[in-house]
Amino acid sequence: MADNAADVAEDYRQALEDLTVNSRIEIATLTNIARENANHGFAIAEVLQNHIKKAPPTRTLPALYVLDSIVKNVPTPYALYFGPKLYSIFMGAYTKVDNATRRKMEEMLKTWKEPVPGSISTKPVFPIEQVRPIENALMAARNAAFAAHQSSYQGQQQLMRGRQPVPSRDTPTPPTGRPYQPPPQQPLYPGPNGHQPDAAPTPQPYPAHPVSGPPHAIPHRATPQPAPSAGPYPPYPQPASGPVYGAAPQPGISIDKLKDDIQQLIIVEKAEFAKDPLDTSKQTRLKALLDLQTIIQSQDMPQDQLMIIRDRVAELAVNIRPQPPAAVTAAAAGPAALTAPSTAYPGVPYTVTPTPPVVSQQPAPVPPAAAAPPPTAAGKGGVSIDSIFGQGALATLLSVAARKSATPQQRTPTPQHPPPPPPPPALPALGPAAAAAIAAALRSPPPQTSAQPARPVAAAAPPPPPSDPSALLAMLRQSGLIKSDATPTPPPPGRFQSLAGVVAEGGIELKAASLKIFRPELIAQLHEELGPPCTHCGRRFRTDDEGRRKKTAHMDWHFRVHQRTAEAEKRGQHRSWYVDELVSPGPSPTLPPLYR
Amino acid sequence: MSIPGLGQIPSQPAAPTTRTITLQPFWEWRFEVPHTLNTSSSSAPISTTITSSSSSGSAASANTPTVRLVSGTAERDGTELAQNRAYALPRNCKSKILTYTGAVLEVAGPACDGYVARCAAPQDSPQLAVLNLHFALRARRQAASAAAAAAAAGHDTGGGGGKASVAAAPSPVPGPRVMVCGPPGSGKTTVVRTLAALATRAGAQPLVANVDPAEGLLALPGTVSAAVFGTVMDVEDAAGGFGVSATPSSGPSAVPVKLPIVYYFGREKVEHDAPLWRDLTAKLASSVRARFAADEAVRETGLLLDTPGVTVAKADMEMLLHAVREFAVNIVVVMGSAGIHAELQRRLENEKTTHGEAITLVLLEKSDGVAERDKEFMKFAREAAIKEYFFGDAKRTLSPFTQSVSFDDVAIFKTPDETDFYDVPQGLEPAEISAEMSHWTLAVMNASVNDPPETIQQAPVMGFVAVADVDEDRRRLKILSPVSGRLGNRPMVWGRWPEPYINLVG
Repeated sequence: MADNAADVAEDYRQALEDLTVNSRIEIATLTNIARENANHGFAIAEVLQNHIKKAPPTRTLPALYVLDSIVKNVPTPYALYFGPKLYSIFMGAYTKVDNATRRKMEEMLKTWKEPVPGSISTKPVFPIEQVRPIENALMAARNAAFAAHQSSYQGQQQLMRGRQPVPSRDTPTPPTGRPYQPPPQQPLYPGPNGHQPDAAPTPQPYPAHPVSGPPHAIPHRATPQPAPSAGPYPPYPQPASGPVYGAAPQPGISIDKLKDDIQQLIIVEKAEFAKDPLDTSKQTRLKALLDLQTIIQSQDMPQDQLMIIRDRVAELAVNIRPQPPAAVTAAAAGPAALTAPSTAYPGVPYTVTPTPPVVSQQPAPVPPAAAAPPPTAAGKGGVSIDSIFGQGALATLLSVAARKSATPQQRTPTPQHPPPPPPPPALPALGPAAAAAIAAALRSPPPQTSAQPARPVAAAAPPPPPSDPSALLAMLRQSGLIKSDATPTPPPPGRFQSLAGVVAEGGIELKAASLKIFRPELIAQLHEELGPPCTHCGRRFRTDDEGRRKKTAHMDWHFRVHQRTAEAEKRGQHRSWYVDELVSPGPSPTLPPLYR
Repeated sequence: MSIPGLGQIPSQPAAPTTRTITLQPFWEWRFEVPHTLNTSSSSAPISTTITSSSSSGSAASANTPTVRLVSGTAERDGTELAQNRAYALPRNCKSKILTYTGAVLEVAGPACDGYVARCAAPQDSPQLAVLNLHFALRARRQAASAAAAAAAAGHDTGGGGGKASVAAAPSPVPGPRVMVCGPPGSGKTTVVRTLAALATRAGAQPLVANVDPAEGLLALPGTVSAAVFGTVMDVEDAAGGFGVSATPSSGPSAVPVKLPIVYYFGREKVEHDAPLWRDLTAKLASSVRARFAADEAVRETGLLLDTPGVTVAKADMEMLLHAVREFAVNIVVVMGSAGIHAELQRRLENEKTTHGEAITLVLLEKSDGVAERDKEFMKFAREAAIKEYFFGDAKRTLSPFTQSVSFDDVAIFKTPDETDFYDVPQGLEPAEISAEMSHWTLAVMNASVNDPPETIQQAPVMGFVAVADVDEDRRRLKILSPVSGRLGNRPMVWGRWPEPYINLVG
């Protein structure tokens, strides 16, 4: 019997050794083996524990998923075996892995405090007494890291190498001292087995506010990815994980919630308006909001368009609320906002922490800098589409009108980018410039572009005077939100429709003078609108279906290269001959996978 | 409480070599890394950060300065940096890191020269025009795409004859074909690189071509070449992704490789053999056209053409006009020379491309950040290119093959010796192998040794070999070759550029 247990353990150890990637199938198999050999459970638990302890950082997470899967599917006896050692297993692994993995571990930890999804039992996966110490330790670690923000470069290097705990995007506990909040009651762990690969717990920001979007079940892919972003403004329904994952139907966007938000905004605006009834900007803004409310209540709108509105409303909410401090912060300009993140978290890999740290850590939506719409426009009292619905809103809606099928989320202020838009001093004429650019975009197209699908739509829209409150309505009509019977049907989008928004570039002439005009709205088209960047090489991928597919392929490529590099170095490699023709074999525009 | 492995965050003072650079939008950090930085570990692979996993940063920073984007967005010549990844700054490199949105950089490792170029407003930045140029080009690409789609749709509905009608259709007009020209050292290549990277970033696939033999594009100097850039470019390359290190090897590459087609000119300057340059440019242009015809995505993105530095002299203008015609260039970007701009304007006023378009000229200011590249710098860059071609770079160590061959087993050609007249018919003649050939790099041509000399001369280049040693007594050559195998069945051409690299082997 003892021999048998040893054999089982040895086999299991070997099987674990082969587990190098986050493969659902392998994890399920390992879970089944553990189930079938539950009588040798202790040995298996021992082996798994040792494996997690010894595995190289890259393989630690899959091993942890095995543990997770086992305790959820075969709680007896495994939860009993692992429970007492949970702290040492978890913290041991936590110390050696990188930050992305840590976040995944934190997500996993969350699920351990809840019952297994789909199970009859209401008991949590692990007793709270066993999970709590880990949470405490993580919290302490985070605070320590925060306190060490003036630490030396060595410290940062260590942080980079993942030796230090670093608070990251979905840190439950902002180091600013908000008390740790228990996770949402709804189980975040949707999959039957609770594996990461196909059913990732949504990297949800801790909803500090009940209106924050409900947890979504996000289809995940096998490649471990930097988790999608979380909204930077905890109190408001931001494009949490949903928008990042693109056009998939969003169960979370409820029109009621949107109505609520708008209603709240209207109340705030009314109060503002009451304070200063002579301020026409407030008046028009209020009117625009009321119009929007009417539209939303009377029309049945598709999800993607609701999402745009929701995002804009969220932005607007952020901008309206802290008006005076926002203006001050904005006036204080970029440097402060720029340096702040760096000093706060010297070693945080921002690429994988989409939430601008400073923003997320503070309850109030502090930096207007991080929000796309510069508050300057609102502050100046001039109401424009941009000031109401954020920089480039009209452009968004227009481009959405041009390609309804494309994801509207690309205009959302991707929280990927902590840095603020150019500080106000740098662009005194932002509002007018944007308006001019939009107008330019709407100008009748040059002859050679007349066949371009998007143009007719854009050209058909009368350039709305930016300060006209009815512009919003016109804009919504334009974008197809209101089914105006005059709306032309956009022709099928061409290849480049998917590349970028069809905005304003038609206005750039190849003349020295035109090339010297700053068009701030174009900057985002190089960054946020291209989607979040790959953490390895900075290449951006959109969050629509195609973008995700490309990103998966891209990450697979990184993975393969990484895997093969070591072996290639051993074997020795050499330069290849050049190709003898520029024409690639076959008409496929894509290079062989290895060259991607 | 003690946290295993987590606590005790060191609080010692920051290492003096680390500094933080805060950039506001449109500011640039311009840096120079001298080539003398390498002491002993020139060929030893410096472990660079390929992934964010362990052992990053510190190992590389021991030898090379590294830059890390702490927050914000930043890019080198259009290619965005990933946040929190330590990028090794390449040696013998003068370049810049620019931000459109503001960024915090952290520079570590051995000191390198650098300064922050500030600008009060984006309008003051020389980059703004390049950025706007990119967006203008993007609009044209979209127009090309739309036109192609419309044409296709028109044929589908009107023709009804299936493939026959498609074949009969005139080939769609490609996207913008942009030539960047200007005086030497005006930032031409940087602009081409930036435009290419920006296009790639937006998902387009520009064809980038270089007809300046003084520097190579994905090839050694002395060549003209072209390649499709559909993937991210290497910011850790001294040439910013245009260096030979971006070409394929037998193993995987941490940065996606590009597949260039290369023609061998073998001279530094166009005027050294203008007829050959014209021929090779025409060959390259026809390769480009073939790619356009075969590949819709590339066609719609168009071409970015880098050219040799020129003056307003007649010969130089003729040279540019030749390139304009061959590549059907419809946008000419002139870097910082009103004289050249005016002269080209005059000459191109009544020209139309083969597609019937007028040719647009744009004058861009030369960036005040264009770094002086002296002779030594250029020489080192050429040597580095040769070395990288054979031995790889810091990220990828390559092992070339050394073989000893008899004089009789190789076919080496050369252009006849210089005469005083550039316009005498040139060509190739079999070269007499002598000790003089030591340390030269030869181009291996994709042709047969029995082909006529013109065919050999205008054949695409397969690669390069270096002559390590010539033993005249035993009539044997020691040749360093990237790929193993016999070289005897391929003609090799001995040019006069790049100059021999004495210290390549041993």
